[in-house]
Amino acid sequence: MLEIKDIHKSFGKNEILKGVNISIDKGDVVVILGPSGSGKTTLLRCINFLEHADKGHASISGIEVDLHHAKKKDIHDIRQKVAFVFQNYNLFNNKTVLENVTEGLIIGRKIPKTDAIEIAKRALDKVGLSDKYDNYPSSLSGGQQQRVGIARAVALNPDIILFDEPTSALDPELVGEVLTVMRNIANEGTTMLVVTHEMSFARDVANRVIFMDGGVVVEEGTPHDIFVTPKEERTKQFLKRVLPEDYTYSI
Amino acid sequence: MTSGFNGKFFIDTFFVALSGVPITLLVTIVALLISLPLSFLLAITRVHRIPVIQRITQVYVSFVRGTPILIQIFIIYSSIPLILKIIFEKYDIGFDIYKINPLWYAFIIFSFSSTALLIEVFRSALSTVDKGQLEAAHSVGLTTIQAYRRIIIPQALVVAMPNITTTTINLIKATSLGYALSLSEITLKAKVAANVGYNYVEAYLDIFIVYLILCSIVEYALKRYEKYLNKYRVAHS
Repeated sequence: MLEIKDIHKSFGKNEILKGVNISIDKGDVVVILGPSGSGKTTLLRCINFLEHADKGHASISGIEVDLHHAKKKDIHDIRQKVAFVFQNYNLFNNKTVLENVTEGLIIGRKIPKTDAIEIAKRALDKVGLSDKYDNYPSSLSGGQQQRVGIARAVALNPDIILFDEPTSALDPELVGEVLTVMRNIANEGTTMLVVTHEMSFARDVANRVIFMDGGVVVEEGTPHDIFVTPKEERTKQFLKRVLPEDYTYSI
Repeated sequence: MTSGFNGKFFIDTFFVALSGVPITLLVTIVALLISLPLSFLLAITRVHRIPVIQRITQVYVSFVRGTPILIQIFIIYSSIPLILKIIFEKYDIGFDIYKINPLWYAFIIFSFSSTALLIEVFRSALSTVDKGQLEAAHSVGLTTIQAYRRIIIPQALVVAMPNITTTTINLIKATSLGYALSLSEITLKAKVAANVGYNYVEAYLDIFIVYLILCSIVEYALKRYEKYLNKYRVAHS
């Protein structure tokens, strides 16, 4: 369904992605783990053309595209298939919660307004915000804003939703509500590619985990493969640092 | 030579000055209609660092900001007829350039200077809109133009509004320099009336009051509009 081949991206002299291949099937929930600076976010942003990859090929829902020489039309078509949830929510500040969700439907997808409102309300109900339709983002908590961000992505009915560290900007007590929503939509069969530091989500919800470091995929497999029987030394070291139960003191 | 304060002249001249308001407003509005969209487009060239244009824009802004508007008036008012004269003579167009209504010069000069000032207003306002807003708009399938029209401009306008108000007020006041073009606006009309009997104090006071009223009304209206635009920033939970 989604296949990325040999993607490269540099910022100046700094090579962030050094030839990454990933492939995702319909219904998959894939989590990308890795230390910061490993290129996870850049990979996600290149898939949605928020960054322009230097090289690479993508096949998304039957659209074949060269990531470096993509035409405007290809970019537009792929964005119709791929939704994005941002780390900083990026809700439209001048639009109400409901308008945030309908905007992409009415303007981007050309869906009639009444239908769009119907779809948007259903999506917002799903994330538990049926009482906030007419609020502006500035009056919502971070967790509520991110749930609107997820509703905005879900309402577009995309083939895949990309999540870029959806909980890292949240206060710890608000992480739970967002993860619950993500669990729910994963259980509905939504195809998801998630960059996150939430190990519990990776372990419980993902059916595949990719570990990235230094701009390449180091190891991938089921959550069991990665968390219980990691093969690569770099994976083991990373897990040792981030998993509290494996934490050992040394003086 | 009159002595003391001529009350009747003061009141009569007040209405003379007031009759200049339409011209003052016309120049202000035309200048804004030209400079608002133009300066916004030029501000975008600055924000997106479009090579050659952004450099030209930068130089233009520095020139206008670094020179008094009265000098700009003198330069444009004296150079344009010269240039036109050469062109007209070359192509044998029988048109007396000295009969051109000074209003046209006023439109050019005040658009020219307020465009430069507004470029900086819009540039700073656009830079306050997080680039995540454009990315989010792209991610839900909006084109860049749609994103600007529906998401970015409304947000930038809110930030720019106080400075647009200031620029507008300054523009209204700057049109008083139109007397240098013999433009029959508020200042010129009152001054001409005063010339007859040397009642300058009364006339200047009239001018003072007319501008004060005019600017207060415009400021009040624009502040109301600002408040209206601002509605989404006031949290209402």
